[in-house]
Amino acid sequence: MIKEWLARGVIILGLAMVISIPAANLWQQSQGIVMHARMAETGGWTPENLTIAVGKPLHLRLTSDDVTHGFAVGQLDQPAVDINPGEMSDITLVFSKPGKYTFYCTRWCSVNHWRMRGTIEVTGPIDKAEPAKSPLYVRLGLNIDADHKASLTPLQLPSAWRGALLNQNIPETYKSHDYYLSHTPLDLWLALSSEPVLKKLSDQDVWDLAAWVWQSNTTPEEVQAGKQLFTANCAACHGESGAGNGVFADQLAVGSGNKALNQTMGEQTQCPANFTDALRMLSASPAHLQGKIIRGGMGTGMPSWGAIFTEDQTWALVAYLWTFQFQIEVYP
Amino acid sequence: MIDQNLHSQNLRRWWHWAILATLVFVVLFVPIPAGAAAPTERTFRIEASRFQYSPAILEVNPGDMVTIELVATDVVHGLSIDGYDLETMADPGKTASITFTADRQGSFHFHCTTTCGNIHPFMTGKLEVGRNTLLWRAIALVGLAMFAGAWKGRK
Amino acid sequence: MTRLQESLWVEEAATKSTLSGSSERYTIPSRVNLYRIPWLRAMLESRWPQFLARAVTLIGFVFTLAAALFGSRVGNHNFAIIMVWIAWWTTLKLGFIPFGGRSWCSICPIPLPGDWLQQGGILDKGSHKNGFNLRWPKSLRGSWLQSGGFLLIGLFSAVTLTDPQVTGWVLLALFALAVGMSLVFEHRAFCSYICPIGGFSGMYAKAAPMEVRVVDKEICANHRDKSCYHACPWGLYPLAMKDSSACGLCMECLRACPKDNLALNLRPYGSDLGGHISSSRLDETFLALTMLGSALAFSAVFVGPWGWLKLSAFEIGSQPWVAYATGFLALNLLFLPALFSLCVWSWKKISQNRLPLKRLVASHAQGLLPLGLMSWIAFTISFALPKLTLVLGVLNDPFGWGWHILNATNTSRSLDVSGFSPLLQVILLMIGIFWSTRVTMKLSKSDGKHNFPSNMPVLVFYLVYSIGMLWLLIG
Repeated sequence: MIKEWLARGVIILGLAMVISIPAANLWQQSQGIVMHARMAETGGWTPENLTIAVGKPLHLRLTSDDVTHGFAVGQLDQPAVDINPGEMSDITLVFSKPGKYTFYCTRWCSVNHWRMRGTIEVTGPIDKAEPAKSPLYVRLGLNIDADHKASLTPLQLPSAWRGALLNQNIPETYKSHDYYLSHTPLDLWLALSSEPVLKKLSDQDVWDLAAWVWQSNTTPEEVQAGKQLFTANCAACHGESGAGNGVFADQLAVGSGNKALNQTMGEQTQCPANFTDALRMLSASPAHLQGKIIRGGMGTGMPSWGAIFTEDQTWALVAYLWTFQFQIEVYP
Repeated sequence: MIDQNLHSQNLRRWWHWAILATLVFVVLFVPIPAGAAAPTERTFRIEASRFQYSPAILEVNPGDMVTIELVATDVVHGLSIDGYDLETMADPGKTASITFTADRQGSFHFHCTTTCGNIHPFMTGKLEVGRNTLLWRAIALVGLAMFAGAWKGRK
Repeated sequence: MTRLQESLWVEEAATKSTLSGSSERYTIPSRVNLYRIPWLRAMLESRWPQFLARAVTLIGFVFTLAAALFGSRVGNHNFAIIMVWIAWWTTLKLGFIPFGGRSWCSICPIPLPGDWLQQGGILDKGSHKNGFNLRWPKSLRGSWLQSGGFLLIGLFSAVTLTDPQVTGWVLLALFALAVGMSLVFEHRAFCSYICPIGGFSGMYAKAAPMEVRVVDKEICANHRDKSCYHACPWGLYPLAMKDSSACGLCMECLRACPKDNLALNLRPYGSDLGGHISSSRLDETFLALTMLGSALAFSAVFVGPWGWLKLSAFEIGSQPWVAYATGFLALNLLFLPALFSLCVWSWKKISQNRLPLKRLVASHAQGLLPLGLMSWIAFTISFALPKLTLVLGVLNDPFGWGWHILNATNTSRSLDVSGFSPLLQVILLMIGIFWSTRVTMKLSKSDGKHNFPSNMPVLVFYLVYSIGMLWLLIG
C-alpha cells in the first residue's frame, strides 16, 4: 500500500511542479508589461496604448507572435530593438518631456506594416506651452495635393559635379537655403536661364548648375542618413531604385484586384510615387516633398511620418530623394 | 560428411556477399564523366514570400560563380544553403546578395533562416550543381539490392 | 528445415542445434531471452523502473500540453511542437520502432490515467475491471480506424505540425478520448483500435527484433489459471500470439506467470514476416499501403522545394487545399491499393495460384512492411534530423517567454546534415528493398509456384516506390 501511495505521490508532485512553475511565471509576467507584436492584419501591437510618468523608467518585454518585427519610439533618440518570433527582447524607456509619443514597427511585416503603431502617453507637468510649429508647406501655403507637372525636363540626368566645374557666379539669392526649401528645381532653372550672366550656357549646363545648387544645400552625411531611412522605410513600396516599383507596389495599385485590402482599410490606395519621374519631381519643392512625408497621402496608402521622423530626418530624406533626379554623390 | 557440406555452403555464401559488396563498391565509386560546360557567372533573382522561393530550383554548372539576389516580398526572409555554409537575410525593400563558387557537385537544399510564419521550417528550395550523380548511383544501388534480395531468396 | 533457417542470421545457430540433437523441441535457438539476464530481469520484474519512465512521460506530456496551449504561438520556439514532432518522432522512428517494435506503447502517457482507473491503482496490480468493460464492437476491430486516423493527420498535418495551439488541442482530445474509452470499454481499446501511432507501430513491430512469447507451450497447456491473460491490460493471451502487432510490451504477463514461462526475446529482424497466409489481414494491407503513400506525400510536401504544394496543404478550406486533400486521399485510398493489387494479381496469373485475390493481397502486404519502415526512417532523417538543434532552444525556453533554464544562447540554426544524410537514406532504402524482396520471395514460395519472374510485378512496385522516395529525398 505504501508503494502505491509513493507512486501516487510521485505523479502528483510531478504534475504540480510542471503546472505551477509556468503558472507562477505567467502571473509574474502579468505584473510587467509584455508587448505582443503581430502583423497589422492580425492585431498589431497588444497593448496599443501605454501610459508612464515623465522621468520614470518604462520596462517593456517584447515578443512577436508571427514574424520579425521591431520597436522604436518616434522622435526619440533611441535605437530600435528587433523583436524576433518566439523570443523576448527587453527595452527600458525614460521620457524627459511629457506628451504623446508614437511607437512603431521598424521591420517590414506586411503591406500594412506602417500601420503598426501605438501611443505612449507621458504624463507630467508642462512647464510652458510650446506652440507647435506648423510645417513649412503650410506656412508657404502650398497645396501638396494639386497636380503638378514640369513644363520641361533635362535631356540627360543633370550632375552636380559638372555644375560645380562650370564655375559660374550664381546670384546669392538662388543659393540661399530658404530659396532651396521653397522653390522647385524647375523654378531655379527658369530663373538661372533668364540671368544675363548665364545666357551663354546651354540648357543642360543650366540643369547641371541647378543640380549643383541643390547639392550645396545638403551635406553628404545628410544624404547618407536619408538613404538609410529610405531603405528601411520607403524602398519596400517605392522600390530600391525609387521608381515606384517596390515589392508592395502591386498590392497598392488601384484596381489591382486587391479589393480585400482596400475594403478593410477603407481607402483607395494607389501606386507609389515614382521618384525617377522628372516631370513630377522637378516641379516639386523640398517643402512640398517634406509636406507629403509628414502628412501622408490622405488615403493613397502613403504613411504619415510626422509623428515618427524628426524634422532633420525628413529633410535628410528629401535630400536623398533628389539623388534620383540629380547625380549627387551618395556615400554607402 | 555433413561438415564438408556445411563448409562448402559457407564458402559459397561468403562468395555471394563478396560479389555483392564489389558491385556496390563499383556503382558507388565508378567515375561518371562530368559535363563539359565551362564555368560561367550566373545571377539569380529569388523572390521570397510566405512560404516559397520563386524560383525554388536553381540549376548551375560546377565551378560557376553564382550570385543570388534575395528579394523579400512580404516579410523578412532568410536564405541558407546546406553544404555551402552560406546565410543571408533580406527585408522587404532591401535586396540581399550573396556570391559564391559552386564547387561542390550535387543537389543542395536551401531554406529560410528567419521565422516568417507557420510553415517557415519547411520553406525550402533546391540548388542543383551539375548532375545529381548520387541519385543515379542510388537508383542503381536500389535495383542491385532488389536483385540481391531475389537471388538470396531464390532457394 | 523450418523457415527460420532461411534467415541468414540464424542459419548457424539452427544447424548447430539439430546437429547437437537437442531434445528441446520448443526452445527456439535463434532467440535470446532477455528475461534471463539477471540485471535486466530485476529491472523488468520490479514495477518501479517502468513506473518512473511512465511518470516522466506523463509529466512531460502535461508540460507539453501547457506549453502548447499557453506558450508562444511560434512553432519552432514552442516546447510542444519541437518535442513532439521533432524529438519524440525521431526517437520513435529511429529508436523505439526499429529496435523495440511497439516498445513506445509500454511507456506512452496517453492511456495511463485510464489504465490506472481501470485497474484501481498505479503500482498495486489490480485486475482491469473498473468501468463498464464493454467489448469493442466486432465491426470496428482491426486497424481500419487507425488507418483513417493517420490519413486524417495527413490531411491537416501542415497546420497541426506547426501551430502549437492546434497540437495542444489534438493531444488533449486524444488524451480525453483514451481516458474516456478506458472507462467504457475493456482493456486498451484506444491503443488497440484508435491510436494511429499504435496502428503502424504494431504493424512494423512484426519486422522488429523484440517480442514477448511463451517459452514452452506444454507448460501452458497444463496451466489452468491463465494468469498471463488476466494480467494483460491489452486483453491478449500470450500463448495464442501469432505475431507482435498487438502486444504493447508492458511486461505484465512476464511478471504474472508463476511458471516463469514467458520470455522477452531478442530475435532476428523480420521474424514475423513471410509466414502463414492466414495471419495477414486486409486492414493491415491497407495500413501498410497508407503508410507508404503518406511517406511519399509528406516527403513531397515537407522536404520538397514546391512552395505551391506546401501552401495548398496549409491553407485548409481553400480550393488548393481541397485539391491537395483529394490528391492525398486518392493516392492512399485508390491509386496505391489498385496498383499493388494489380501487381499481386499479375503474380497470381503468372504463377497460376488458385487462392482468392483478396487473401493473396492480404498476405503479400507483409512484403510492404520492411520497405515502409525504412522509408519512414529515411523521411524522418530529412524531416526531423536537421531541426534537432531546436531541441536545445526549447529546453532552454519552453514557452518562448524569455527563460534561460540552460543558460544557452538561442540558436535557431538548423543542422546541416547534407554531408551524410543522403548516403544514409540510400542505405536505408537499399536495406528496405532487399528485405522486402526477401519477404516476398518467401511468401511466394509458401503460396504457389516459386519463380523469380513471377514475382517481378510486385518487385517492380517496390523498385518504383523506392526510386520515387529517392527522388523526393535526395533528388
